[in-house]
Amino acid sequence: MGSLAFARELRRATSCGLPPWGVVRMMLELLIALCLVGAFAVFVLPDEYAPKAAFGISLVPLVLSLYMYLTFDGVGNALLGGDIAFESQYQWLTLGSYDVSWFMGLDGISMPLVVLATLLTTLAILASWTPIDMRQSQFYGLMLFMEASLIGVFGALDFLIWFVFWEAVLVPMYFLIGIWGGARRKYAAIKFFVYTNIASIVMFVGFFGLVFGLGDSISSLALPEIAQALRAGELGSLGAFGPEQLALLAFLAMFVGFAVKVPVVPFHTWLPDAHVEAPTPASVMLAGVLLKMGTYALLRYNFTMLPTIARDLAVPIAALGVLSILYGAMLALAQSDLKRIVAYSSVSSMGYVTLGLVAYTMYGTGGATFQMVSHGLISGLLFACVGVIYNTTHTRMVGDMSGLAEKMPVTAGSFIVGAFAYMGLPLMAGFAAEFFVFVGSFDAHFAYSTVLTALAMFGIVIVAGYLLWSMQRTLFGPFRSETDYDVTTASLHDVAPLLVLLVCIIALGTFPYDLAFERVLDATEPILDTTVAAVGGGS
Amino acid sequence: MAESLAFEFAPAIAVLPFVSFLVALLAGRYLPKKGAIAGMVATGGSLLLSAWTLFAVHTGHAYQQTLYTWVGGELVDFELTFGILLDPLSTLMLVIVSTIAFLVHMFSLGYMNDDGQTGLPRYYAELGLFTASMLGFVFADNLLMAFMFFELVGLCSYLLIGFWFREAGPPSAAKKAFLVTRFGDYFFLIGVVGVFATFGTSMFGGPGVDDSFVHVAEQALVGEASVNTFGFEPQTWFTILGLLVLGGVMGKSAQFPFHTWLPDAMEGPTPVSALIHAATMVAAGVYLVARMYGFYALSPTALAIIALVGGFTALFAATMAVVKREIKQVLAYSTISQYGYIMLALGGGGYVAGVFHLTTHAFFKALLFLGAGSVIIAMHHNENMWDMGGLKEKMPVTYYAFLSGSLALAGIVPFSGFWSKDEVLYETLVHGLGGSPILLAAYAMGLIAVFFTGFYTVRMVLLTFHGEPRSETAADPEPVRWNVKLPLAVLGVLAAVAGVINLVPVHAVVSAVPEILHDWLYHGPTGLNGEHYHELITNDAFAGYTSGELLGLGETGTLFASAGISLALAVAGSLLALVLYRGPDPAEHTDKLGALKPVLFNNYYQDEYQVWLAEGATVRVARLADRFDRGIIDGLVNFVSSLSLFSGDRLRRVQTGIVTNYAALLTLGLTLLLVAFGVMQGWFV
Repeated sequence: MGSLAFARELRRATSCGLPPWGVVRMMLELLIALCLVGAFAVFVLPDEYAPKAAFGISLVPLVLSLYMYLTFDGVGNALLGGDIAFESQYQWLTLGSYDVSWFMGLDGISMPLVVLATLLTTLAILASWTPIDMRQSQFYGLMLFMEASLIGVFGALDFLIWFVFWEAVLVPMYFLIGIWGGARRKYAAIKFFVYTNIASIVMFVGFFGLVFGLGDSISSLALPEIAQALRAGELGSLGAFGPEQLALLAFLAMFVGFAVKVPVVPFHTWLPDAHVEAPTPASVMLAGVLLKMGTYALLRYNFTMLPTIARDLAVPIAALGVLSILYGAMLALAQSDLKRIVAYSSVSSMGYVTLGLVAYTMYGTGGATFQMVSHGLISGLLFACVGVIYNTTHTRMVGDMSGLAEKMPVTAGSFIVGAFAYMGLPLMAGFAAEFFVFVGSFDAHFAYSTVLTALAMFGIVIVAGYLLWSMQRTLFGPFRSETDYDVTTASLHDVAPLLVLLVCIIALGTFPYDLAFERVLDATEPILDTTVAAVGGGS
Repeated sequence: MAESLAFEFAPAIAVLPFVSFLVALLAGRYLPKKGAIAGMVATGGSLLLSAWTLFAVHTGHAYQQTLYTWVGGELVDFELTFGILLDPLSTLMLVIVSTIAFLVHMFSLGYMNDDGQTGLPRYYAELGLFTASMLGFVFADNLLMAFMFFELVGLCSYLLIGFWFREAGPPSAAKKAFLVTRFGDYFFLIGVVGVFATFGTSMFGGPGVDDSFVHVAEQALVGEASVNTFGFEPQTWFTILGLLVLGGVMGKSAQFPFHTWLPDAMEGPTPVSALIHAATMVAAGVYLVARMYGFYALSPTALAIIALVGGFTALFAATMAVVKREIKQVLAYSTISQYGYIMLALGGGGYVAGVFHLTTHAFFKALLFLGAGSVIIAMHHNENMWDMGGLKEKMPVTYYAFLSGSLALAGIVPFSGFWSKDEVLYETLVHGLGGSPILLAAYAMGLIAVFFTGFYTVRMVLLTFHGEPRSETAADPEPVRWNVKLPLAVLGVLAAVAGVINLVPVHAVVSAVPEILHDWLYHGPTGLNGEHYHELITNDAFAGYTSGELLGLGETGTLFASAGISLALAVAGSLLALVLYRGPDPAEHTDKLGALKPVLFNNYYQDEYQVWLAEGATVRVARLADRFDRGIIDGLVNFVSSLSLFSGDRLRRVQTGIVTNYAALLTLGLTLLLVAFGVMQGWFV
C-alpha cells in the first residue's frame, strides 16, 4: 500500500476524532492565522522571552502541517481540475468583470512545500537563538510573519491573493537582511528588494496580458480557471498582438519575473549579496524556501498554463538551466567565503529544477518538484552549519580556520554529511531528485536533450570539487583559527536543527516515493498531458 | 528448503555490517573494543551467511528478489527498485568480501586498538558502513542500485582514507580519491541514465527476469527487439553505453588515467588499504564489468578498449613500482597493475580468468597489505624499506605469510597468482591469435609487465626482510600479537593454495582434476553464466572472437607455451632482483636508470598534469567566471539601477532609514498599475 492510500485510510479511520469538518477545511487559514497572531504576540513580548516563545509558537503550525501532510487527500493538480485538499473558496470582491475570491487549497505540489516552509521556519528560529542578540522580539516576529506569507504563497489559488502573499514575503526578508545583516546589509537588502520587485512587476504585466487576452472566457482571477482556459486554447488577441504572440510575450515576461526569484543565470547576482549579508536564519529561509517560490511559480504559471510555449522554448530554457548549473558551480569554486560557496551552489542546484521542468516527462517534472523540497532541506542544512561555525569562530573565510572537526565534531559531521547530500550521494534526498531530473530529461521531447543532460550532470563533479576543497581546508588538518575566539562544541539548540535536517534528508533519499514523490507525481502528471493544449486555437 | 531459507536471510549479509556501523557510531565509545567486536561479529555473520548462500546456489539455483520499490506505482514510466541477485558470481564475491572484511576487522584490533589510536568508534563505524556498502553493491540486482552502493563505497573510502584528519596529508588524499573516482562516476551516471532511457530497466537478469537490459540489448542486436538508440546503430549505442559505465569502473579500479588517487590513498590506515585494494573499492570496478559481462560481450570495440586499458595499466603501473622506496607504495602500484590484468582478461574474452584473478588477488593482496601493516607496526610506522632489512628472523610468521603472498603476486608456480595470471594471459593470447591484433598488443604489454612484477616483488621482500637491519627500529622491532598473526596465517595459506579452484593446465593433461571455478561460473542462471558469455564472445553478431593457437602447437601446446613464457619472465624478473638486492647491505641501483629515474620516481608526471587540470586550469577558469560575474553581469545590474530612479544617490538616501517610504513607493506603483489596467478594461465603469 502506497503512503497516499495509507493517508486516506488514516483519514477515514480517524475522521470521528477530527474537529468539525469546516475547521479542517480551513486548515490553511488556521495555519496562517496562527503564524500572524504568533508574530504579533512575539512582536510585543520583551526581547528575552521572544526566542523561546517564537520557537514554541512555530511548533504549532509545524505539527499541524505535518498532520495535514499525513491526512492529505488531494488528487491530481489543483490548477487542472484535481480534487483540491484543504480547499476553501469565498467570494470576496469584484474587479470589473472579474471575481476575486479568497481561494486556498493544496495539491501534491504545494503540500510538501508548505511542510518545508513550516519545518524550516521552526529550525531557523532555533538556529537564531545564538546569533541574534538584539531586537529579538522584532526578529522573531518577522520570521513568523514570513512563515504566514510563505504558507499563503503556496496555498493561494486566486491570483490577487497569491500576489499579495508573494509580495508580503519580501517585506520581512528585507528587514531581516537590512537590520540584522552584515556590514553591507543595506546594499544587499535594497538590491534584493528592488531586483525581485521589478521582476514582480514584469511578471504582473505578463500575467495580466494573459488575463485580458482571455477576455470573456474567464470570469474570475482564480488560477484554476485561468489555467484551464489557457490550456483549452481560449486565449484571444490583445491590442496589436495575436494569441500566439501574446502567449509568447506573456510567457517571456513571467519567465523573466520568476527567473529572478529562482534565480536563473543571468538574473542571479542579487543572491550572493543577499546571502552573504543576511543573518544565518534568514539565509536558511532564503535558500530553503524563498527560492522555491520562484520555481513553484514557474511550474504553476509558465509550465502549467502555457505548455505549448514552454515546449517550443525548451532548448533555450534547458540551456539556461544547464548554464545555471555549470556557471553557478564554477562561481562557487572561485569563492573562499563559505556562505558565498553555498549561495552560488544554490544557483547551481536550482538549475536542475529548471532542466527538469522543461523536460515535460513524468520523472522530469516530478523530479524538479522533488528537487525543490530536497534542495530546501540540504541548502538549509549547509547554511545552518556555516552559521554554527560562524557563531563559534566569527569567521566564514576558508583560509581563516582549519581542523574544526576536532573541536566541534557534531557540527563538522553534519557539515560533511550535508556536503555529501549536496554532491548527490545516493540514499540522500539530493541524489533522488537529481537522478529523477536526469532520467526525465535525458530523452525529453526537445532537441539536444541528451547532450544538455549529460552536460548538466557534470555539475556533480564540480560540486564535489568545491565542497571537498572547503571541507579539507576548514574541517580537517591541524586545528588553527585566525580569530581569537574559544572554539568549543556547539550547544544543543545549535546542532538540533542540523540533526533534524539530516534525518529528513536521509529519510527522503531512502524512501522518496513513499514520503513525497507519490504525492508530487499525482499532481505533476496532469501537467504533462498537453494534447488538448493549443494556444489560440479555441473560440 | 535449505537453500530458499538461505536466500531469505541473504539481505542480512549487508544489513549486519550496517548494524555494526550503527552500533559503533552510537555506542562505540562505551564498548570495550570500541566497536571492533561488533564489527567482527557482523562480518563473521556475513561470512557465514555468504557461505550458506554460496552453498545454496551450488545445490539449488540462482535467486533474484526485489526487496524494495524505491519508486514505483501506476504513474511511473519505469520502476526503480532495490533487489538482490544471488548467482555463482555474486555469492563468490560475497564470500571473498566478507572473509577479508572479517580478517581486516580482526587485524584492526592489533593495528588500531593496540596502538592506542583515538577515534576508534568512528573507525569501526566507517569500516562497517564500507563493508555493508560493498556487500550491497555485490548482490545488487540492477545497475541503479549498483551505482548507488558504488557511490557509498566511494564515500566510505573517502572517510577512511581521511581517517587521520588532524594531519595534512590524509584529508588531501581522501579528497583526491573521491574527486578522481567521482569524475569516473560522472560517466557511469550518464551510462545509468542512458540505460534507463534506452531499455526502461536496469536489471542485470537472473531467474524470473526476462527483460533485463543485457538480454534486451542482445535481442536488439539480432533484430528480435527494438529500442531507442538515439539515432545510432544499436551496436554503436550499446558500445557508448558500455564505455560510459566503464568510466566508473576505471575510476574505482584505478585504471589509467584514473589511477592517480590510489597511491595517495596509502595515507589511510593500513587495514583500510587492505580492504580497499583487495575486496571493496578497487574490486568494485572490475566486478561491475563481470556483473554485466553479457552487455560488454556484445561489443568488440568495448572489449578491445577494456583489454587495451587493462594491458597498458598493468605494464605502466608495474614499471613505476620498481623504484618505490616505501613498502605500501610498491603494493599500491602492484594493485593498479594487477587490476589491469583483470581488465585485460575481461576484455580479452576471459570471463572466468578475470573472476579467477579477482579471487586470488583478493587473498594475496589483502595478505600483502596486512603483512605490510604488521611490518609497519614493528617499524613504529616507518614505511621506508631502506630503513628495514633483516626482519625475517624477528617476525617469522609475518615473513612466511608475506613470502607466500609475494610469490603469488610474482606469479611463481604453484602459488595462486601463477594459475590465475597465466589463465588471464592465455585467454588474451588465444583470442588475439584468433585474429585480433589489438588483443595481441594488450597481451604483449601484460606479458612484459610479468617481468617487472617479479622484479619489484622480490625486491620488496629482500629489502624488507633480508639482509642486515638498516635502522635501530629494524634491529629491535615492536612485537605483534595473535590478532595480527592469525589473519596473516589464514591468508598466507589461501594465497598459496587458492589456485586449486581452477587448475586449467593440469586439467588439460589430467582431466580428472576439475576446473572448479570454470564449472561454477558456467552453471549460473540463464543469460548470466560463463557458457552464455562464451557464446556471445564467439558469436559474429556480437564480439566475434575466435581462438587461435601458437605456431601450430595445438590448444594444449599453446596453453603450456603461454604458461611457460609468463613463468620464465616472472622468474627472470625475480632473479634479476635477487642478484641486485641480495646480501647484507644492498645498494639502490636506481642511478643506472639514467634519465628514466626521475620519470619513474615522479610517476610519469601523471599527477602533475591532473593536479594542473583540477586546480590550475579549473580554478583559473572559475576566477575568470567570477570576475566576469561581478564585473559584467552584476556590473550591468548596478549600471541599470544607477540609470534608473533608484540611482546610487537615491539608494544611499533610502539607506538613511526611510525604508518604509520606499516600500510604500513600490506598493503604490503596483496599485497604480493595477488601476491603470482596470481603467483600460473598464472595470470601474
